Amino acid sequence: MRRWLAWLLLGVVVGAALVVGARSDPAPPSNAERIADLAAELRCPTCRGQSVLDSNAPAAAAIRTEIARRVDEGQSDDEIVAYLDSRYGESLRLTPPSTGLASLVWVLPVAGVVVACAGVALAFRRWRADPPPEVSDDDRQRVRRALGQER
Amino acid sequence: MNAALGSAGVTLGFAASVLGVLALAVGLRRRRTASARGTALVEAEGLLRLGRSFAWLVLAGAVVATVAMEIALVTHDFSLAYVANNGSRSTPLLYTVASLWSALEGSIILWALVLSGFLVALVRRFADRAADPLVAWATLTMLVVAAFFFALMLGPADPFTTVAGPVPVDGPGPNPLLQNHPLMAVHPPMLYLGYVGFTVPFAFAVAALVTGRVGEGWLAATRRWTLLAWGFLTAGIVLGAWWSYEVLGWGGFWAWDPVENASFLPWLTGTAYLHSVMVQQRRGMLRVWNLSLLAATFCLTILGTFLTRSGVLDSVHSFTESPIGPWLLSFFGITVAVVLGLIGWRGDRLRAPGSIDAPVSREGAFLANNVVFAAFAFVVLLGTVFPLLVEAVNDERIAVGTPYFNRMTMPLGMVLLFLMAVAPALPWRKASGELLRTRLQWPAWAGAAVVVAAVAAGARGLAPLVAFGLGGFAAAAAVRQLVLAVGASRRRGGSAVAGLVGRANGGMVVHLGVVLVAVAFAAASSYASSDELRLEPGRSGTVAGHTVTYLGMNPPADDGQKTTFAARVQVDGDQVYEPALNRFPNATQTIGTPSVRTGVREDVYLTLVAAPEQPGDPAVIGVIIQPLVVWLWIGGGVMALGTVLAAWPGERRRRPIQPASEPALRTPARDPDPPAEVPAPAGMA
Repeated sequence: MRRWLAWLLLGVVVGAALVVGARSDPAPPSNAERIADLAAELRCPTCRGQSVLDSNAPAAAAIRTEIARRVDEGQSDDEIVAYLDSRYGESLRLTPPSTGLASLVWVLPVAGVVVACAGVALAFRRWRADPPPEVSDDDRQRVRRALGQER
Repeated sequence: MNAALGSAGVTLGFAASVLGVLALAVGLRRRRTASARGTALVEAEGLLRLGRSFAWLVLAGAVVATVAMEIALVTHDFSLAYVANNGSRSTPLLYTVASLWSALEGSIILWALVLSGFLVALVRRFADRAADPLVAWATLTMLVVAAFFFALMLGPADPFTTVAGPVPVDGPGPNPLLQNHPLMAVHPPMLYLGYVGFTVPFAFAVAALVTGRVGEGWLAATRRWTLLAWGFLTAGIVLGAWWSYEVLGWGGFWAWDPVENASFLPWLTGTAYLHSVMVQQRRGMLRVWNLSLLAATFCLTILGTFLTRSGVLDSVHSFTESPIGPWLLSFFGITVAVVLGLIGWRGDRLRAPGSIDAPVSREGAFLANNVVFAAFAFVVLLGTVFPLLVEAVNDERIAVGTPYFNRMTMPLGMVLLFLMAVAPALPWRKASGELLRTRLQWPAWAGAAVVVAAVAAGARGLAPLVAFGLGGFAAAAAVRQLVLAVGASRRRGGSAVAGLVGRANGGMVVHLGVVLVAVAFAAASSYASSDELRLEPGRSGTVAGHTVTYLGMNPPADDGQKTTFAARVQVDGDQVYEPALNRFPNATQTIGTPSVRTGVREDVYLTLVAAPEQPGDPAVIGVIIQPLVVWLWIGGGVMALGTVLAAWPGERRRRPIQPASEPALRTPARDPDPPAEVPAPAGMA
């Protein structure tokens, strides 16, 4: 019982710390943070594999400037994303869409993990269902003899 | 001259590998018929010895090709197309030497060189077992792979083609990004040593399947080879991240770029193998799975080379334009088919003899580890190739980038941290709750303390806090194991260091390195703040509590290789840093050189985004503040150290003929029985 108390206490401490850490959000995001977050979600149109935030290519810099202008104008994130989609198309978004064929990229790994876990669980059931091997008196005697010799 | 020498080397390497394959194949065949008939094996074994001696010729061919290419690069022999495309007279010597791996053809030479180096090492290491069919088949497999890479150089990726028309006077040099930091000279060779190193265990896996000796012998024979390859791959990946951080100027170290993913995929499956192999060695189970993991690791190195070198990532429709694409893809397909065929053929021998008793046990933890690593690898692979699949099916272009990878891999990473914390405390077979409560208590409290301390220090956000807590838990679990091992070694009269070597203890050191990397990754990506400041000389701006003052520009400096425009930037009124822009003579775009104030707590990363037109005009300074970045590199170092410790021959912990026995103790008084009484089974020797 005292053992469990220690673990209970541990759970309470960690839970409380996490609640404090997760809930008390500091200040609302600054303009610079909003620009960075928006730019990190877009692929730089002229380079390979870099986001608009990370790239120094002129095209990426232009999009960053455009985002910054709209943030300073006071547009919301959704408005800016809608504008960027209309201007550049959704193919620039680094997060693949969750509809249509592209949604498979989200679904397949989850399905894979579920299937794998089910497979492992099934394997354990089968292993458990296997009865332990029959031990004959002969075997027992042999073991006893071997142990006796050793001692 | 260099072209002729190099081509001769390639031809020699190819011919020697083909002849070696033939000699070994004939020798193996003769050996089988001879032993079936009961006649003498001398002739067959002579052929096997002959076959393996071809390894030296293969190495000679690769060395000649490498030397020829390096001579051509260093002496600026622009009659070679490769030198004309990748060399220049203004490039410093270090980067000229390193341009061997700055483009496709040269990197295939490096691949062949490393592969033949491993081949000769294998032949030497197993010299006393030359007539053993297992070793012969492994050598043969290596030779087949070598033949393929030499064939690439004879066919679609010939590094020694000469330029058509007049010989140019100078070349463009390597991509400016590849001649901006000395790490470029170290990181690719490391990566290749890791990549190619996995060919050795793969070759033994194939050999085990072919000979039907799918027991545990080949696992023991390849343990250090696998560790070595894994250690190099780890070091190569970490150095690559460091290079990217120091050179690319975006303040990041990991972009989930296809090239990075290509190196990360074999690392994931290789890591899964290093864990699951212990289940097989201990319990004889998971044979098919281990073989599949090794095969997957090898195939993923080929697939990764295909993805990054064929141009397929630009568009599915462009990969046939590069002649090497179809070759690599075919080799990948053939390898997969051969391995699957072999596993199917040997299915009866691969059946596991035992069973795993309980999910909460060491075996169960390794199984869970493997599920998570497999899922991790699947996510990375799917995310990398998914745009191609969508384009091929729908002719629609989509991007799969950092947000996707981060979201999908974060939960997997958390589960891995949790397993790292719990698994070392789990006994084999079955764990009782009582045992776990005792063993995990202090590590769990350490994790809790980390969470509380992080919250008290102002860290916010659920995901990073959970990562820190699990990191603390896992680190404490590893430390606990190490303390126990050192104590046990002391009690036995050994040194403290003896408690740190060997697979289990070295592995715990690796775990500590992984925790450092994971915590640093979580902190740096969760709490980064960045801004671009447009500052006139003498003016200051503030980013995340740090004052950045632009003092002015240095006069442009020309070192013959490039012209450097450096700004003088003072951080927090203290030291002056000089982020710069470099103009290379043969490149249109300027390349930035970031300047970083590295600290134990956080890095201040400075870039010069735009230099002023006139002196006195404002400059645009990029400032990125990221916590704990330096711990990524330290963690990488700890992982490398742990790998060395794990490969270090420790004391023999168990009597070799009874793998399940208690650790053999040094003091003879406590050694219960003389080993001579137990006859060794015939197959184990």
